[in-house]
Amino acid sequence: MDYTYPSVYFAYFFFLIVAIGALYFFVKSYRDGYWGDEGEEIKYRIFEEEELGGENGRK
Amino acid sequence: MQNESTIAAAEIPVSESAKRTEMIHEDTTAKLFLLSSVTYFFIVGIIALLIAAKFVMPSFLGTIPQLTYGRLRPLHVNGMLFGWLLACDMALMYYVVPRLCGVKLWSEKLGIATGVLWNVIILSAVVSFLMGWNQGWEYAELPLILDVGVVLAWVMFGANVFMTIANRKYQAMYVTLWYAMGTILWTAFVYLTGNFATLFTTGVNQANLNWMYVHNAVGLIFTPVGLAIAYYFIPKASNTPLYSHKLSMIGFWSLAFVYVWTGAHHMLHGPISQWLQTITIVFSVMLLIPVWAAVYNFFATMKGQWHQLRDNVSLKFLMSGVVFYLLTCFQGPMHSLHVVNAIVSKTDWIPGHAHMAVLGAFSFFAIAGTYYALPRLFNTELYSDALANWSFWLLLIGGLGFFVTLWLGGFWQGWQWNNPAIPFIDTVVALQPVWAVRLGSGFLMFGGIVAFGYNVLATVLGAKGSGVEANPAEVAA
Repeated sequence: MDYTYPSVYFAYFFFLIVAIGALYFFVKSYRDGYWGDEGEEIKYRIFEEEELGGENGRK
Repeated sequence: MQNESTIAAAEIPVSESAKRTEMIHEDTTAKLFLLSSVTYFFIVGIIALLIAAKFVMPSFLGTIPQLTYGRLRPLHVNGMLFGWLLACDMALMYYVVPRLCGVKLWSEKLGIATGVLWNVIILSAVVSFLMGWNQGWEYAELPLILDVGVVLAWVMFGANVFMTIANRKYQAMYVTLWYAMGTILWTAFVYLTGNFATLFTTGVNQANLNWMYVHNAVGLIFTPVGLAIAYYFIPKASNTPLYSHKLSMIGFWSLAFVYVWTGAHHMLHGPISQWLQTITIVFSVMLLIPVWAAVYNFFATMKGQWHQLRDNVSLKFLMSGVVFYLLTCFQGPMHSLHVVNAIVSKTDWIPGHAHMAVLGAFSFFAIAGTYYALPRLFNTELYSDALANWSFWLLLIGGLGFFVTLWLGGFWQGWQWNNPAIPFIDTVVALQPVWAVRLGSGFLMFGGIVAFGYNVLATVLGAKGSGVEANPAEVAA
C-alpha cells in the first residue's frame, strides 16, 4: 500500500493542530501578562531561593 | 552585591521565607542522570578518538567487525547525543525546574525509574551497535525496541516535569520553564517522526522526514533545552538578572515558528520539489531572529560583568558556548543558500558545523551547568578550580582546532569535488593533513573531558555529609 497521500494529509492535520496550539498558548501568554509592564519581574525570581536559605533550600 | 534581585527577595513575606527554607530538594534523580551522563561522556570520548584515528590510519584496529568505522560511528553519535548530552540536560532540568517552581520534584521515584530505564537503553545501544544491529538511519540508528524504550522514558520525564510545573508555587513562569516544556513537546514530535513515521514512507519522502529529524534533533531538542540551561545559569553564575525577559519570549516563539522547516536544507540540489527548497532556505535564514534574540540577551546580561570571566569557570563555558551558538547558527543559514550548499554539502564542513553546535554550544552549556550544580547537589565544594580551568582551555582549544579545520577543509574538499578533472581518491589523499589536525584536536578535547570527568568524580567522592552548607560564592568561582 502507498502511504504517501495518507501521510501528507496527516502532516497537514498535524501542522494544523500544532498551529492552533501555538496560537492558543501565544494568546494565553499575552493574557497572563508576559508581554505587559510587569513581564520583567519574573527574571528576578531565580535569585530568591539562594538568598532565602541557600541554593538547596538548606539553612 | 545589592541588586534588584535582592530588593525583590526582601519584599517576600517572612512566612513565605520560612516555608521555603524548610524545603529540601532530594535531587536523587538529578544526581543519577548527571553521574551517568559524565561517565558516558568519558567512554564515548574514547570511541571518538578511535574513529578520528581511523581517518588518519585506515587500517587501525584491523578488520575486527566490532571495531570497524561503520559500527563505532553510530556508537559515538548516539552515545554523545543521548548518553552524554541529553542525559546531562535532563539532569539539569531535574535540578532547575523544581527550584524555579518553588516546589519539590513531583516524583523522585518516577525520576529514578526514568534514570534506570535511560541507562538500560544506553547500555543496550552500546551492545546493539557493536553487534551491528542498527536501522541505518542517521541519528536514528537505535533498533526499534530501544526506540520504544526512549519514548517511554521521555513520557516519564515529561510527566515529572509537567506535573512539577503544574504544582508550581508561582503563576508566572521564567523563560527556562517555557523552553523546558517546549523541549519535551518538540522532542516527542521530532523523535516520533524520525524513528517511527519514516517506517511508513519511501524514497524522497522518507529522506525528507529523516533530515527533518536529524536537523531538528539539534534544533528542537538540544537547542531549546540548551537555551533553557543558558537562560538559568548565566544569570545565576554571574549573579546578574537577565537583560530582558520579553526578548527571551520573542526568541522562544520565533524559534518555535521557524525551526521545524529548516531540515530540508540538507536536501538542496536533491530530488525534492522547488517549493520545499525555497521554503527551507527562507526559514533557515529566518533562524537568525531567534538566535540573535537569545545571543543579544546573553551579551546584554553580561554588560559590565565581563570581568567575572576571569575567575568563574561556569561563566567561561557559558559565554564561550554563546559565541559558538552564534557562529554555528550563522553557518546554518549560510549553508542553506544554494551557492554555498553546492560547495559544502556532504563534505567535512557538515561534521565541523554539527560539532560546533553539539559540543561547542550545547555541551559547553551542559558542562557549565554541571560545574555550577554539582557542588550544590552534593553539598560540597568543587574538587579543583584549576582542573576546571584546564578542562575549559583543553576543550576550547581542541574544539576550535576541530571546528576551524573541518570548516576550511570542507570548503577545500567541496571545491575539489566540484572539479571533474580531479579523481575522487585524490581528494581523499589531499584531506589527510586536515584529518591529522582533527585527530590532534580530538586528543586535546579528550584531555578536557578527562579533566572534567575526574573533577566531577573527585568532587562526588570527596563530598561532605548532608547538612554542611557550601559557600555558594566560592563554588560559583
